[in-house]
Amino acid sequence: MISLVRAELRKYVTTRLSWSMPLAMAVLGGLFAALQGLFLAVIGEFPAPDGSMIVPAELFGEEVVARLVYTGAVQIGYLLALVLGILSMSGEFRHKTITATLLAAPRRGRLIAAKVVSVAVVVALNAVAFTVGSVAGGAITLAIGDLALFPDPAGLLATFARMILVLVLWGLMGFGLGVLITNQVVALFVGVGVTLLVEPLLGLGLTFVEQLADASKFFPSQASMSALDLFAGVDAGAAQTLGAAQDALSWGWATLVLLGYAAVMATLGWVLTARRDVA
Amino acid sequence: MTTPSAPSPSGTGITVRGLTKTFGSFTAVDDLSFEVAPGRVTGFLGPNGAGKTTTLRMLLGLVRPTAGEALIGGRRYADLPAPMSTVGAALEATGFHPGRSGRNHLRVLAASHGIPDRRVDELLDLVGIPAAARKKAGGYSMGMRQRLGLAAALLGDPDVLLLDEPANGLDPEGIRWMRGFMRHLAQEQGKTVLVSSHLLGEVEQTVEDVVIIANGRMARQGTIDELRGEPAVLVRVGDPAALARVLQEAGLEVQPEDGGLRVSGADAARVGEAAHAAGHPVHELRPLRTDLERLFLELTESPEHRNRNLATGTEAA
Repeated sequence: MISLVRAELRKYVTTRLSWSMPLAMAVLGGLFAALQGLFLAVIGEFPAPDGSMIVPAELFGEEVVARLVYTGAVQIGYLLALVLGILSMSGEFRHKTITATLLAAPRRGRLIAAKVVSVAVVVALNAVAFTVGSVAGGAITLAIGDLALFPDPAGLLATFARMILVLVLWGLMGFGLGVLITNQVVALFVGVGVTLLVEPLLGLGLTFVEQLADASKFFPSQASMSALDLFAGVDAGAAQTLGAAQDALSWGWATLVLLGYAAVMATLGWVLTARRDVA
Repeated sequence: MTTPSAPSPSGTGITVRGLTKTFGSFTAVDDLSFEVAPGRVTGFLGPNGAGKTTTLRMLLGLVRPTAGEALIGGRRYADLPAPMSTVGAALEATGFHPGRSGRNHLRVLAASHGIPDRRVDELLDLVGIPAAARKKAGGYSMGMRQRLGLAAALLGDPDVLLLDEPANGLDPEGIRWMRGFMRHLAQEQGKTVLVSSHLLGEVEQTVEDVVIIANGRMARQGTIDELRGEPAVLVRVGDPAALARVLQEAGLEVQPEDGGLRVSGADAARVGEAAHAAGHPVHELRPLRTDLERLFLELTESPEHRNRNLATGTEAA
């Protein structure tokens, strides 16, 4: 089992993805965190619906602004994590390496388990690169906006840890998707499409259905935002002016929801893989 | 293989029993049974689309049999404790990540069995691509891929080798190399080799036993000498009846065929010398197809055995 994990990790480090993905993670993390910082720290104010000006740093405190800025790129981050997870399995089918892989690891349950572990490790490492990039990009804008860079170090560390966890869970969801849909292009299309398009549209649609209005908080993107727990200690009404969901899940539950998605998809994939003919 | 010789305790044999695979309404492999004796080279022959690859894939646990079983050393592939150390397989459709070097491809497989990099480099030397294997696999020629596939199969130093159309895509020099390599593996290292091919000539000089399938079913099996039958030559002379008497007196079996004589149990040299000694100028003298060649041609050329892959597109080859 350990040797299978080692083989999976070696697969990752022997392709270009091993440096291009962390690089993309760090750069995009930095850019989008800086963009978030541009609005919340550099410009530092925006009009509320009633016409008065909201100054985030005053309304929520500098620690919340720092949290929001450093996690400002998280949507990009979990999309890339999703892609990493998808590639782990569908890449084997795309390049027909699955035959050699299954000859080396014919017990498919073990192979899936080894891949789950390796995806978690790989995404965690990428998530660290992503966090470093986000902090660099975010810190520049916080400094320009003359706000504290690390107002609540322990709280920020917890936020970073949660962000890394969220990315790992998205990686596992992607892995499940890649096992489920072996065509790499289709899997990427479905994964990114559902996240960027279907989920927001469905969420919007659900707001018109009274009985289901609450359901959207269980969607992966919304649950991810809840899992980051960005608005800890902030009045719920005020948090909504910054885009927090109404009646959002607590971060613990949100994490479990994401874990649930990942587990269901990986299990489905596991069952399918065990029976699938590889020709 | 046809003889029910018990596998020698040192070697690992292959048993296929009642093996059947259907894809929808298409029967790729139909109640196939045969044994591969340990330490021997067995040719697994049949026209394209006969079900050879599907059979090999079932042996390797890649495809689930609809019925029957395919065992290596009495076990299913997935039940082998360290599969790559028991069986090495080089399958046709095996791919390589275009951005990963061939050497790293092997290192990935080696990691799964705790095999050191030293062994990887040894094998790259053995198959003759130590330098090229450090380049990305995307640019590899077919010959490189075959050699790399072979190196992958040998990584765990297995007792049994399954080679699927190993000569495909190789140039004549590569084919010669491959033949010599297979002989080396079987004769000097005592490995059990099952090698598939749709061309009899490709493996005829290398294999000891033959399993021929067509349409997913067993067509013939036996040692190659059994299946070849007696060698025969065709000889044409001005007076065939007179030469026939001479040859019969020399103890040869002679039958009229195609305006000449078919002489069994003798090679061209012996018949030519006999004709010369008796004063018959020879107009034509050539070896006839062996029984095996004729059987194989029949199988490949008859319309009912045409390549089923092309007709259905459901089976791998």
